[in-house]
Amino acid sequence: MSQEAIASQSLLTAEFLARLDRLALMARKTQLGMTKGERKSKRRGSSVEFADYRDYVQGDDLRHVDWNIYGRLESLYLKLFHEQEDLTVHLLLDASRSMGFGSPAKIDLATKMAAAIGYIGLVGYDRVSAESFADGMTHRLAPCRGRAHAGKLLTFLSNVHADGRTSLEDSTKSYILRNRAKGVAVLFSDFLDPEGYEGCLRRLLQSGSDCYAVHVLSREEIDPPIAGDLKLLDSEYAMHVEVSASPSLLKRYKKNLEGFCESIRQYCLARGIGYIFAPSDESLERLTLDALRRGGMFK
Amino acid sequence: MSSWDLFWRNANTFLSKAFLAPPYLWFLGLIPIIVLLYLLKLRRTQVVIASTILWAKTLEDLTANAPFQKLRKNLLLLLQIIIALLVALALSRPFLKMQGTAGQNLCLLIDHSASMQSKEVEKTRLDLAKDRALELVDAMQRGDKMMVVTFAENSDVLSELTEDRSRLRRAIMSIQATDTGTKLRDAFFVAHSLRLTVPDLHSVVISDGNIADLADIGPRVFDNQRQVADQSTEARSRGYDLSFLQVGESTNNVGITALSEREPVPGESGDRQALVALRNSGTEKAAVTVTLAFNEQPIAVEGVEIEPGTDQELVFKHGELGEGILEAELDNDDALAVDNHAWLSLRPAAKLRVLLVADPAATGTYFLQRVLTPDPRVELSTIAPANFAPTSDYDLTIFYDFAPNAGQPSANATAAAAPASQLPAGTLVFIKALPPLEGMVSEGTIDNPPIVSTDAEHPLMRFNLNPANVGVHSAVKATLPQGARPVVSTSGGTLIADVSRGGQQIVWIAFDHAESDWPLNLSFPLFFQNVLAWVPRSALASETSIDAGRPLTLIAKPEVTTATISTPDGRSEQVQLDPLRPVFYSNTQRAGVYTVELGDVQERYAVNLLDPTETAIKPSDALAIGRGEFAAERGQVRQNRELWRVLLAVALCVLAVEWWVFSRRAWM
Repeated sequence: MSQEAIASQSLLTAEFLARLDRLALMARKTQLGMTKGERKSKRRGSSVEFADYRDYVQGDDLRHVDWNIYGRLESLYLKLFHEQEDLTVHLLLDASRSMGFGSPAKIDLATKMAAAIGYIGLVGYDRVSAESFADGMTHRLAPCRGRAHAGKLLTFLSNVHADGRTSLEDSTKSYILRNRAKGVAVLFSDFLDPEGYEGCLRRLLQSGSDCYAVHVLSREEIDPPIAGDLKLLDSEYAMHVEVSASPSLLKRYKKNLEGFCESIRQYCLARGIGYIFAPSDESLERLTLDALRRGGMFK
Repeated sequence: MSSWDLFWRNANTFLSKAFLAPPYLWFLGLIPIIVLLYLLKLRRTQVVIASTILWAKTLEDLTANAPFQKLRKNLLLLLQIIIALLVALALSRPFLKMQGTAGQNLCLLIDHSASMQSKEVEKTRLDLAKDRALELVDAMQRGDKMMVVTFAENSDVLSELTEDRSRLRRAIMSIQATDTGTKLRDAFFVAHSLRLTVPDLHSVVISDGNIADLADIGPRVFDNQRQVADQSTEARSRGYDLSFLQVGESTNNVGITALSEREPVPGESGDRQALVALRNSGTEKAAVTVTLAFNEQPIAVEGVEIEPGTDQELVFKHGELGEGILEAELDNDDALAVDNHAWLSLRPAAKLRVLLVADPAATGTYFLQRVLTPDPRVELSTIAPANFAPTSDYDLTIFYDFAPNAGQPSANATAAAAPASQLPAGTLVFIKALPPLEGMVSEGTIDNPPIVSTDAEHPLMRFNLNPANVGVHSAVKATLPQGARPVVSTSGGTLIADVSRGGQQIVWIAFDHAESDWPLNLSFPLFFQNVLAWVPRSALASETSIDAGRPLTLIAKPEVTTATISTPDGRSEQVQLDPLRPVFYSNTQRAGVYTVELGDVQERYAVNLLDPTETAIKPSDALAIGRGEFAAERGQVRQNRELWRVLLAVALCVLAVEWWVFSRRAWM
């Protein structure tokens, strides 16, 4: 599918896709792949990249014997090479109702970022798997590979809608159990889960993948435009708070928010999870080409 | 009294010193209501947000102390509480005692009584009072008005409310000291009545505070206030805008407070006695010498020591002195000189000349003679109606069954009206005869008239005279002339009436006392005693001393038309007399001996201060008028400045800020 056709999905522009073409996904650690690919694997195989020697045992393919060593040492050693396999990119989107808030909506930014990462993965001939989840509702994109599936990916992401409650840990756990392939896992969420974000990130780490957490918040959450006496209703749970807006209250809220973001960042940092803070009104280019790149996801 | 009552009383006392209308402080109850409304307020705007997790965490510590934490730092609530507070305070009319009189209309009430003659370091108290008054005139600003009223025994308005400072200064400078007592009441009501048209009139009493009639003022103030405004008397009295500017400091004074002369007490020696009462109102023991003189010839001298704050009475025995002036004199040099002298005019008691015009053989005549003859004051003459000719030689003429110019009237006859000028001079009593007065017409008779009502206020009905059970055979029924005052009434008519006219006292008795059992009743002699006491000369006859400021009553024979009065300070005045009625001479502000020449008759009258209130010259620290007490101010005049305007202005400003905050959502 051409870039124009992909761009017609309206998630990403053609210019932006062209810039993404120049990027390649980086895995901070070598993982076992599922099939032959272009990534160095922990497996020994038939690439050109030397890995090690080992003694010859009967039955080994004589084509792999290092005859130069045999000439010097009169012993048979087998020359081992790294295997080149594919990389699995797991795109996990929190599609709870809270992600639908903001202007622009948080879910919009999350899907666009996921599309960008997925596109780069597909272009790099990596396996891309995507799933949007909320409490009770899960939409999956079966693993696919190659630029040809870019349209499929973008279509899938375009159809993601924010609805349902947040249940980050359960959803992550369910996904990990179903997708054993290690690779790069990127979780897009606002992490506003009454049960906390720690369980979800811990589950993600247990998958053995190279993990990234993209923390999406709307401008309305960062700098609430409220005034007067309000009853704030929770979009997901039957909870409410009554506030009489005052400068001091807003100051206290912002301080709380900063503390919340910082705690996630510290949690991720301590566990080798890449943390990217993404305000929903931030430009996609800056986040993708700058923030994610500096986070070590692309090169 | 329980502690709660005590607390309540103390709170009331405190509030009344700071607020004119403390009941409005109940409006402060609005504040908890506002707070309650805030707490109960349900009308919150509902906003759906992504998640309340962060907000809940933010409010965690706020809700920890709910519900009052909700109110913390709520600017609108704070502003509304402030507005309610300011409005409640404004309604309760707080005031402050502030210096200065600028921007107000002032009524100066200046005391010029005897005690104001007390000597201070260099000046008299009256001079100090004038200085203070002039200072107030100097402090007047453009648009301020002032009036000057003096008070002593009598009150005078020296200047009505004016902005003319030079006129005010002249009025103040013209104030002269008098030797009279102090009565504030009249002056106070002058200012008080003016407050109806000039509501912001501030009264300033400049005095030493020794005022005798303060107790008489309060009730009247309350009565008037009740008519003027529908407010509690207590609140209005507190609101009375008055300052008391005290002058004077000296306290040492010994004065004569009473002087009298009397016949010897039965059983004692035959000498007559003069009694002199002294008072030492100072703080130190005083040794004084009292000299008693008769016609300027000393007849006795006695030295006496008087403890501070006590009275001392001296009795001088002396022989028969005859007619003349008895004078008592103190030789001490104290702050107040006017009370160091007192005089008595000794003269034989004047006889009341009474003419009874009646048939000497009539029973009624007998009863009248029996009533009048025993009185030592009375010089009774009886003539038959036929011999009667109008004369001015008698103080009292009683017509029994006869009226001049009317012949012998019958009960049914209409009396011929005679001009009042043809009547004899003096007091007239008509019994069973219709006075020949215009408008007085007989309308028949009433048989067995019961006595229905009496006018207890009339001088003829003194001593609670009650002839209710008197039986009368018949009475003349007549229309009374205009201005007549029924004294004893029956159903459908009058039995005794005061038909005085043109200053001449005339009494009409509509029935024949001989045809009733009245002469057998105690009220009969008492009634005629009252008639005798009512005769003007009888009051004069017993007077040996007159209080300074009270009028002299001048009665002379008709041919004497002018009286010449010589005052103690050497002046001489001519007074026109009226043949029909007494003339009053009121210019008696100076104590001393007044000599009155009535034709060839010369009479001397003693005018004295003799007022313990004036002798006690120690300045008073407060004026207690009604339920209000006005503390003395020695420095600049301080007056109540009400703060409600300022409070309401601030409340309006806060209201504007509150609206701005609400509309702009500022600091919310």
